[in-house]
Amino acid sequence: MPRHEAFQGSLPLLVLKILSRRGPLHGYGITVRIHETTDDVLRVEEGSLYPALHRMEEAGWIRAEWTITGNKRRARVYEITSEGRQRLELDERRWVAVNAAVLRALKNA
Amino acid sequence: MIRSGRLNRDLDDEIRFHLEARTEEYMREGLSTEEAGARARRQFGNPTLVRDESRDLKLFPRLESILRDVSFAVRLWRRNRLVTGAALVSLSLAIGACTAAFSLIDALILRTLPVDEPRSLVYVALRTPAEPHDGLSFNYPLFREMRAATSRHLRLFALSDQGRRDAVFDDSGHVEKVYGQWVSGDAFALLGVKPALGRVLASTDDINPGQHPIAVLSYDFWTRRFGRNPDVLGRWVTIREKPLQIVGVAAHGFTGVEPGIITDVWAPMMMWDDRAISDPDTRWFRIWGRIRAGVAEEQARTVLQTVFSRFARAQVARRPEESRERHDQLLNTRVHLRSAATGPSGLRENFARALWVLGAIAGLVVLIASMNVASLLVARATARQREMAVRASIGAGRSRLIQQALIESLLLAFTACALGGFLSAIATPKLVSMISTSATTVRLDVRPDWRVFAFLGGMGLLVTFVFGLAPLRHASAAQPANALRSGGGRHATRAGSFRPLVAAQIAFSFVVLFLGGLCLTSFLKLLRTDLGFDTNDLALASVTVASPAHDAGQALASWISLLERLEHTPGIESASFSRWGLFAGSGRNKSVRIPSRPIDAYAPWYLQVSPGFLRTMGIPLVAGRDLDWRDARPELPGAVVVNESFARRYFPGESPLGKRFFRIDGGSTLVAQDVIGVARDAKYTSIREPAPPTVYEPFRPENAAVIQVRTRLEMGALLASMRAEVPRAHAAFRLADLTLQSTLVDNHLVRDRALAVLSAFFSVVAGVLVIVGVYGLLSYTVLQRTREIGIRLALGARPMQVVALVLWGIGGMTLIGVAIGAAGAALTGRFMTAMLFEVSPTDPWNIAFPLLCLLLACAFAVVIPAQRAARIAPTTALTVE
Repeated sequence: MPRHEAFQGSLPLLVLKILSRRGPLHGYGITVRIHETTDDVLRVEEGSLYPALHRMEEAGWIRAEWTITGNKRRARVYEITSEGRQRLELDERRWVAVNAAVLRALKNA
Repeated sequence: MIRSGRLNRDLDDEIRFHLEARTEEYMREGLSTEEAGARARRQFGNPTLVRDESRDLKLFPRLESILRDVSFAVRLWRRNRLVTGAALVSLSLAIGACTAAFSLIDALILRTLPVDEPRSLVYVALRTPAEPHDGLSFNYPLFREMRAATSRHLRLFALSDQGRRDAVFDDSGHVEKVYGQWVSGDAFALLGVKPALGRVLASTDDINPGQHPIAVLSYDFWTRRFGRNPDVLGRWVTIREKPLQIVGVAAHGFTGVEPGIITDVWAPMMMWDDRAISDPDTRWFRIWGRIRAGVAEEQARTVLQTVFSRFARAQVARRPEESRERHDQLLNTRVHLRSAATGPSGLRENFARALWVLGAIAGLVVLIASMNVASLLVARATARQREMAVRASIGAGRSRLIQQALIESLLLAFTACALGGFLSAIATPKLVSMISTSATTVRLDVRPDWRVFAFLGGMGLLVTFVFGLAPLRHASAAQPANALRSGGGRHATRAGSFRPLVAAQIAFSFVVLFLGGLCLTSFLKLLRTDLGFDTNDLALASVTVASPAHDAGQALASWISLLERLEHTPGIESASFSRWGLFAGSGRNKSVRIPSRPIDAYAPWYLQVSPGFLRTMGIPLVAGRDLDWRDARPELPGAVVVNESFARRYFPGESPLGKRFFRIDGGSTLVAQDVIGVARDAKYTSIREPAPPTVYEPFRPENAAVIQVRTRLEMGALLASMRAEVPRAHAAFRLADLTLQSTLVDNHLVRDRALAVLSAFFSVVAGVLVIVGVYGLLSYTVLQRTREIGIRLALGARPMQVVALVLWGIGGMTLIGVAIGAAGAALTGRFMTAMLFEVSPTDPWNIAFPLLCLLLACAFAVVIPAQRAARIAPTTALTVE
């Protein structure tokens, strides 16, 4: 099962964006949003989201806490931190700039 | 552990939540429960991998996973106590032995002197074209010239050899043995050694012969003899009949410049011997120097060479009667400056090569032990192949499995290192006492320094890599698919992966056994050497005279009376005197002039003996008569007994009896010597060399002599009766140092004994390790091929065919190992030649010995597994797995 490298690189950016728009979500919720917003273009193993989440958590961009869901199950809910928001702003700007440059290059090369 | 447990549970919960939510989603879309679950899992990927990855990045740098692997390894050890025990014992033994050998090498060779800036210290060495060794002894007139000529480049100072001397301290009046050294006055200043008490010697203490009666003690001796009592200053000690006043104690840690021999007392050179100071023929000290900053060594050397060449020409002019050969030798001698940073040590020269050989042998044994451990681990890894494959298939990352295998071998290696370090700490002092003799006590500073610890650590890493790599391949090659196959399939090839280990093991142990065999054979030959005299029931004691008699005739009379008393003591068969004992470390050479022959470079050996010496020593007289007391009278010219090799060398083809030759004393005085008897050859100071041409001349009373006593009395009884008889002969006689002649001879075999004993020990260890290795491989092969063998037997194969089948592989490996080992032995053998006595490394027996031992070991190791193979019942084979 090959990994989708481009997607892997932008996964933290997507997660931060989703969390900043939608507020706290559990991992499954984040997966569902990614699928919805990308029209299933970026389909990879869903499991690979979790190490990415944990890495971001260790970096301090998001924080997590255990909650009990409607049907009495333990779920871990992630929330963006202020550090995460700064990161999001920075990464978003860079991503847009890079993509614009790549697009220009693709058109004019 | 608690943290890890909760963390795992949390991660599992999070993943389970995701999977359940996804499954419900698919069920809502209309899939069955099973289909939905399967699809959710496929969609998710590998949960174990996700969990491991998350946990690893969460747990601060893998520390916890390492701890977990350590505890896992310990659990595995507990389950396989026998395997682990065998591995640990063989590794620790090998590592311990290797470290002990290294500690000695470190103390003897690698450590620098405890003085200021040892790197700018040099010593002066002479090299004549014909001599294989450096000449290190110098005479005083030459030293004085050299010192004056080089003072701008090099500051020279002199240190006599450290010798064991009789000393009498004024607080007790008893004769004691001390290691004394006579040094030039500036030696302490140039070495940078400060006093711990009082003062050390200065240049002004070493100007006029006999005029500076002072001495300095070593800190160590001050502690041992005087309990660090400061009142020692001002006391008197008499050494070499000169009273010296103690003026100071040298700094703690300075024990002289010879590693292995510790100096007790230093005195100025001017107090050694008035005559020696002006005699160019008495060579009695070494010259050291400190190069001045900014001076090239070659520049200093050239100046010294000029001085020496001038001296050599003067010496040749002074001795026209000497042979051309000797003159050429002197004129072609080159002066060298050698680095003295580690101190030139006779002990070092004697043992360095032996220690390197032992170190190499110990290193090979470590490799053999590592390979055994590797085989054991591979065997276990193979047995755990399914477990590994299962773990891989449930998603344990490959790097986790590798980490675990590595940690296991690291843990094993470092436990073995710790045990080995402990063993070596116990063994090293024992090794030091093995190389000490009754004549020279070796006191080495063998406390481990950073080098020893670095060495141990290096060994640990090396060992980890040697045996950690093999199981690693297995761990990383664990394919999930293998878990699905049952035991059949690839077993034969897996057993193959440690066959090269066995071949290497056999090759290494071949070399170890070869070297061990050489050392042992050489030692046995030395033990069986005919010395020319009989060491059984022969005791030696030294007698000194406290207050010398002035009349020589009277002195002789008291010595004669002592001998008569001893010979009439019950239990003593015969007794005699000599100036010193054979093999006691002393000897004297004198040039001789034989009428109608040119004087050659060789100087025969001389020994003053009393009548009856030859009889007491058991040296047969082959012609003429023994010396008697009339020959010892001072007014008579010297009647002498010579040995056969003297006769062969100087009177070839004729009887030396009645012939006259001349001894050359002090450069020019000729003393007539009349041959009255010929004795059979006896060795004088060296077991290895043939008996030298020797002259036994009559004993003349001096202040000390050695008594030989042939007796069946026990040492205790002998000591008691001698204590009683010695003062009765003369009130001033003192008895000291009762010892056995055989002990003195043994002292010359210390290096060979140490080599033989240790290499034999290593050979046995290597042999045992090979047996374990071969046995392990074969048992394993038989176990793995049980089904195949059972089928063969069921199809009508005879048990012997099965055994042949099993042995085929190991036979090939043995042959390859032996071939490689023989090549290695041929390479190392050449290095050994210099240390061996009448043993040639190319002798077929020396190659046959390791071969036989290894074949025996292999035969011993294969019996049980081969029997087991032959006894496999076809029915059990079918039920395996």
